Amino acid sequence: MKRLKQKNYLIYMLPAIILISVFVYIPIIQNFYYSLFRMNSYTDEMVFVGLSNYKKIFADEIFYISLKNNIYYAVISIVCQVGFGTVLAILLESKLAGKLRVFFRNIYFLPSVISVTAVGLLWYFIYNPNMGMLNSLLIKMGLENFTHAWLGEPNIAIFAIIAMSQWQYVGYIMILIIVAIQKIPIELYESAQIDGANGLQKALKITIPNIKETLLVTSVITVIGSFKLFTEVYVMTSGGPYNSTQVLGTYLYNTAFMYDEMGYAAAIAVIIFVITFSVSILQIKISNSGKE
Amino acid sequence: MKKNLSILLVLIMVMSLIFTGCGGNDTPEVKDEGEEVVTIKFLHRWPQEPYNTFFEEVVSDFEADNPNIKVDMQSISNDPFKEKIKVVLGTDDAPDVFFTWPGEFTNRFIRAGKVYDLTEEMNSNGWKESYVYSQLEPFVLDEKIYGAPFRVDGKIFVYNKELFEQAGAQVPSTWDEFLTTCQKLEEANIVPIAFGNQSPWAVSHYIGTINQKIIGENIYKAYDPAVGDFSDPGFVKALEEFEKMVPYFNANANAIKHDEARNNWMAGKAAMMYVEIVEIPEIESVCTDEFRDNYGVFNFPIIEDGKGNQSYLTGYPEGFVVSGTTKHPKEAVAFLKYLTGKEVGKKEALELGYINGAKNVVEKGEIADVVYDNTQIVFEAERMVNWLDSGLHAKVCNVYLAELQKLMDGMTTPEEVMQKVQEKATEVKDEF
Amino acid sequence: MIVMNNKTTKTLLKTLLYLFFIVLATMVIYPLIWIIINSLKTNSELFTNSLALPKNPVWSNYIKAWKLGLSTYFLNSLLVGAVSVTATVFLGAACAYGVVRSQSKFKDIVFYMILGGLLLSPQVALISLYKIIDKIGLYNTYWAMIIPYIAFKLPFAVFLMRSYFLGFPKELEESAYIDGCSSIQTFFRIVLPISKPILASTAIMTAIFVWNEFLFALVFIEDKMKMTIPVGLSNFRDALVTDWTVMLAGIVIGSLPMIIFYLLMQKNFIKGLTAGGIKG
Repeated sequence: MKRLKQKNYLIYMLPAIILISVFVYIPIIQNFYYSLFRMNSYTDEMVFVGLSNYKKIFADEIFYISLKNNIYYAVISIVCQVGFGTVLAILLESKLAGKLRVFFRNIYFLPSVISVTAVGLLWYFIYNPNMGMLNSLLIKMGLENFTHAWLGEPNIAIFAIIAMSQWQYVGYIMILIIVAIQKIPIELYESAQIDGANGLQKALKITIPNIKETLLVTSVITVIGSFKLFTEVYVMTSGGPYNSTQVLGTYLYNTAFMYDEMGYAAAIAVIIFVITFSVSILQIKISNSGKE
Repeated sequence: MKKNLSILLVLIMVMSLIFTGCGGNDTPEVKDEGEEVVTIKFLHRWPQEPYNTFFEEVVSDFEADNPNIKVDMQSISNDPFKEKIKVVLGTDDAPDVFFTWPGEFTNRFIRAGKVYDLTEEMNSNGWKESYVYSQLEPFVLDEKIYGAPFRVDGKIFVYNKELFEQAGAQVPSTWDEFLTTCQKLEEANIVPIAFGNQSPWAVSHYIGTINQKIIGENIYKAYDPAVGDFSDPGFVKALEEFEKMVPYFNANANAIKHDEARNNWMAGKAAMMYVEIVEIPEIESVCTDEFRDNYGVFNFPIIEDGKGNQSYLTGYPEGFVVSGTTKHPKEAVAFLKYLTGKEVGKKEALELGYINGAKNVVEKGEIADVVYDNTQIVFEAERMVNWLDSGLHAKVCNVYLAELQKLMDGMTTPEEVMQKVQEKATEVKDEF
Repeated sequence: MIVMNNKTTKTLLKTLLYLFFIVLATMVIYPLIWIIINSLKTNSELFTNSLALPKNPVWSNYIKAWKLGLSTYFLNSLLVGAVSVTATVFLGAACAYGVVRSQSKFKDIVFYMILGGLLLSPQVALISLYKIIDKIGLYNTYWAMIIPYIAFKLPFAVFLMRSYFLGFPKELEESAYIDGCSSIQTFFRIVLPISKPILASTAIMTAIFVWNEFLFALVFIEDKMKMTIPVGLSNFRDALVTDWTVMLAGIVIGSLPMIIFYLLMQKNFIKGLTAGGIKG
């Protein structure tokens, strides 16, 4: 009787396990295998090349540009989204903010609800050098010298894309932090109040230490998100002008489906895997040690 | 009861696999009369109107004439098409008749056995002879015919007569005159050339033309992926000449699209633009009546000390081919023949303003003169020179184009560009 | 102490804070207003001055965008979303329940598999997945999106629901067994109904993911009749060439459902987000 029940539980798990194995694990393992070959998308022909794809990657200028852009994205996102998001969360949760806090919170959060593609296309038009919102505003304010072809100048384009992401996601991280702040027991603040702490002191001594774990988690999410970056860049510049906005995700896609180098793309995928996986492991390690 | 429910969970998984069976198009249906209906898949690259409707009508006309063939039409727009076609051809469900650009773009598919050899069919019933040969030739590889032209094309300059007059500029016929014209326009505070190079195939059209005019026959040695020899000094020279015209482009050329630049030219914001002949019907349909009389065309100027034949024209036809893995070659070939034939050609010329490769499709007067006359430029050209981007191996092309964008921003030199191109070409040749 | 007692300082601070909030809110909202304004213009109005208000709102831009394909993309997104969400929630709940209640060692393997699945990014699987999808004949079908979506969202769903089920009193189920319910019946009649809040959170997170997903939809679908909104919108830009105001109208239409969805279920939405903590 009991045995039968155990078997039943297996059946509960089976469909999910099959799906995850076939469509998540097998492809990822297979990807390692593919990275040792030269192949393209329109034939089944595969030429074994050993580790030469990896050798080529480490000598590939565009790979380093992509990696650099991903790192820029990660660093700026941590500062703006986690850093500024925290400040914003604390301000919105402070007594001074009053009843309108919910209104502002909703407004700041709104962009993250819109799909990345729509936001990317929207900003594609905002950045348009001729009729775009940004240049039009600058001209109206008499700041013509500051107008740019935002997505067409190699030194600026990647930062224009990064800026858009900050616009979209600051509110998102802010909400995660607000939820964490709301979980802090009110007594902590009350006792600080009695000790005569001001708002800033309370934020530094009570709020921040108590949301440490959320800050860590949001940082890790932000970093991993930075290395998964694809849609924003694909929609806005496809990696151009001359690869200056290439990130690992778009470079992977371009090599696989534009340059006919699927094996090389698989090797890039392995590198994305190594980076995101080690960051995740780091997160698990740190958050475990925090609990002890 | 219990057992049934447990199985249900697993069934969801199985069901998903069964359902996919319904997606297949090749399952023959049996009609009431007992005749077997064959479905062929057709892929073109014009999802926008009015072109899509045109293709829908062509398909339904064809189906009416051939009740045993059903055509399942799909489309992908220009830029994504270049990526998607490779993926699509890699699948087991490749389209039976699909659009392509002749040259290396298609040749790699031919080498991989993805394109059906039409030589035998072409040589019977005078099919081959129904085309203007210069327009069929691009589809020939190693003396075998692989496709048929759907739309002939060539690259020319269009210019705004009023702005030229304002600046006292002449229509140039040589390269030096061209640069003088640009200079004059510039001095009159007119942007000489509208240029949108966000998708860098646009710059490849300039370089393709200049390369041919300066270098001559040696370009074919370079473009052939099995040879890949870019050592001719003319390649660097061509870029140096190109650099001379860069200052005359509108600002931010790398940040705007070709179509946007064309809009600016039509709005009188620039004097000239290097366009494809197939864009003329589009210009005609959008522009104002005054503008229609206010623009003219001229050929790319002659480069006097160039080694190339100066009366060649840059531009290759676009066309359709039959899949090498098709299960219904007879039906697919029949559709291809219809699609690129005289009857559809006439409809195409009247409704879209495009000329296909069949002989004597329209007489002068049947379509807008400007379209008819400009198409004659193509038929009169001594020889067509393929677009640089579809003539080159994909890997070499991508490096070349990115480097050209860089060159326009002054971030690299002609020598460095060609060095990078040569490196990639050598790599490709070694893999070949 | 001085600061807190000084009422004028407090008012000043409050004014400054509100000023800051308002400036920031303007920065967030203005681009959205800009696009709505311009989506109601003619193309020449847009090019003359993109900051001005439209003379006569051109509502036909919206109709045109809708008719030119958005309606199809919309329905596809709904269909793909509905199937993916239902399957993810249902299969995820079943698996999580199995992991929690099973006593075999197998459940540990399953749990680690789920945990590992959380860490894998879809991009890494893209190329092999494309080959697999083609080989089993799913290329260019709705299933080419639905199945990978489910597979990649299941680890997250199981993980979320497992922690919920862990705190679930076993007594309830046992009393159901005594009443003669089978294991499956108990799962459907007792476990699922009580877990509604966590099912809702999972459903919302999955829905957001599916609604936004771009990469798989881009690579695995070729037919524009099967495209979902994200890929459809980007396809739209190429197809419309320079008919930009229609494009802008399309962007607005494509963004509205999620905004409305959010405004309707703010609380659940935020709960789902905090539970998930995974971006786009």
